[in-house]
Amino acid sequence: MKRLLPLALLSTALSFSAVAQESGPQVPAYNDPLLELDIDERDNRYQFERSSLRALNVHDPLEGVNRRIYRFNAQFDRYVYLPVVRTYVWATPSPVRTGVSNVFDNLRDIPNLGNSLLQGKFQRSGETTARLLFNSIFGLAGIFDVAEKMGLPQQDEDFGQTLGVWGVPAGPYLVIPLLGPSSLRDGTGRVADWVIEDYVNYMDNRDFMNDYQATWGIWAIDLRYGIPFRYGALDSPFEYDQVRYLHTKLREFEISH
Amino acid sequence: MPTYRKTLGICAGLLATVALTANAGEPYAYPVTNPFMATVAGTPEKLRAPTPSDVDVQQTDLKVRVLPDRKLPPALSQYRDLHYRVAWHDEAAPLIFLVAGTGSGYDSTRMDYLKRLFWQAGMHVIVLSSPSNHDFIAAASNSGLPGMGAEDARDLHTAMTLAVENARQELGFEVTSYRLAGFSLGALHAAFVAELDTHLGQFDFERVLLMNPPVDLYASVGRLDALSYTRIEGVDDNDSFYEHIFQKLSRHFASRGNSDIQESLFEEIQSSPDALTDPELAMLIGAVFRFSAADLSFMSDLVTHGGRYVPADEQLKVSTSLTPYLRRALFCDFSCYINEQLLPTWQLENADKTIDDMAWETSLRSLQDFLQNNPDVAAVSNADDLILTESDYRFLADTLGERAFLYPSGGHGGNLDYAPVTERYLAFLQGGAQ
Repeated sequence: MKRLLPLALLSTALSFSAVAQESGPQVPAYNDPLLELDIDERDNRYQFERSSLRALNVHDPLEGVNRRIYRFNAQFDRYVYLPVVRTYVWATPSPVRTGVSNVFDNLRDIPNLGNSLLQGKFQRSGETTARLLFNSIFGLAGIFDVAEKMGLPQQDEDFGQTLGVWGVPAGPYLVIPLLGPSSLRDGTGRVADWVIEDYVNYMDNRDFMNDYQATWGIWAIDLRYGIPFRYGALDSPFEYDQVRYLHTKLREFEISH
Repeated sequence: MPTYRKTLGICAGLLATVALTANAGEPYAYPVTNPFMATVAGTPEKLRAPTPSDVDVQQTDLKVRVLPDRKLPPALSQYRDLHYRVAWHDEAAPLIFLVAGTGSGYDSTRMDYLKRLFWQAGMHVIVLSSPSNHDFIAAASNSGLPGMGAEDARDLHTAMTLAVENARQELGFEVTSYRLAGFSLGALHAAFVAELDTHLGQFDFERVLLMNPPVDLYASVGRLDALSYTRIEGVDDNDSFYEHIFQKLSRHFASRGNSDIQESLFEEIQSSPDALTDPELAMLIGAVFRFSAADLSFMSDLVTHGGRYVPADEQLKVSTSLTPYLRRALFCDFSCYINEQLLPTWQLENADKTIDDMAWETSLRSLQDFLQNNPDVAAVSNADDLILTESDYRFLADTLGERAFLYPSGGHGGNLDYAPVTERYLAFLQGGAQ
């Protein structure tokens, strides 16, 4: 924004001088934002088409099945999942919800740590270890994210990302029932992360959750509570195509950082 | 001072006149003077008029069947009913209809903000998708070809009647009077609906608010199309614009050290060396509108069995890939839709007329007398609104006079959540003097 300041001052000054010349009610002077743009006037101006067509090239051999599952997920979200989440939000005060999210986030730092190590990201592994210690001890088993306040935000790493860093391609696009967009690689990664969490059984959480099965319900609700995505939000009959592209890009992005 | 302003914001609806007095002397100090930035990001959070959180609003989504005979294939069956959003109060109150803009549905972020704002000010709110949006075309557009002011207004008027009837039945609230507001293309629609209603006398809108309306719709559409042809430094004829943007984001994250994506991401990037330039922002806005144009062109063609995209004998199942149709529809911008789909149909009944006649009929200029002589209609707009030509802008100023709330900056609707602006238009809606 800083570099725009002189421009802003200039345009303000201009509009004031223009106002001063007018009579009657003060109407700010018209200012055409398109004038500064260089609009392509050629016949073969295809920047938008070229870019968008490329974005539609996603390897999706199971598209028919994927589209059905996508529709099922959207219906489930609308009629079951979101109403449950809304009831949860209605019934609990915000600090409780944040605490619940923090507890599960803290447990997720176990696969985060494992995958940071597997990817050779040692500084990140150190930071995640510090998070685990601070949050588990001073944050009372993770209820408070004290590490974040100390400048150590959570850094998500899953096994799909690890495989990506190792050079495994994403493979076919997959829509997983209830969970949504993924790929063969990332779907496999999810299973691996699940096994890691089970095996480590950090602070005996898996035993505890299996003993008190209602906690799995809270886990599922919190999972959806933390995801802002809403079916229909892209407002297009081509939502499936757009989500497929955005999801694929987002994963590429996460793997390269 | 900050707490004073905040309190004012909260009570804006109830204390409209007080707020106005407090405001009268203050110069307009909207901080986002870049129209592209304002259009994309809106007002910085601290300066936004506060609204209750969405869970604290008594609201629900409802649906009505507007066109019983409309047939849709399974792939698009979710659009058979017209879905809309209602926020209501237990006490009797005025009801405001809110109409979304081009390519926007009833559940868009901007509509949700305005819904909370109006609800907080004590109104029942019904939010409807833009008649140009794919869901409205499928569920409620008689002709299936939106873009003519008067026809769209009839579709909307019918949808409103059904929606309010259904909502009152289901939710049991009482309405004392009606108001109407629309954003962007929705504002143009609001003007046409208001004019139509003066002949029908059904709602007798006590206030009509046009937020960033186009004046000459087809001129505005041409300007939006143009944005998608913006030349960008670093993107040549073999490059993808989206890849270019992703690379910028990527560089930003690399220099930042972690990839924790936060809500303030956009503001953060814009204050970094990798800030998006004006041409890039313009192209982004243009691209979003082009996708809306593709949706519009595809959906209209499907509903009217035009055969541009989907062959007449093809049944779109849930599992059918729509990607090939999107590939083709992407080539049709708004001007293409008007020239190739809307105009030929219109000329069937207006053989001797030209596209200029059609443009005029859908322009606010055709409603000049109504707008000029009706003290209950006001508009909010900006001197740097992307969709207005200079003569469009002058038209708003000259026709509406004191009822044109014109600001020097804010882009296309970026300042609609800026506290001093909301106070002014809420005061108008609530019946205070401007």
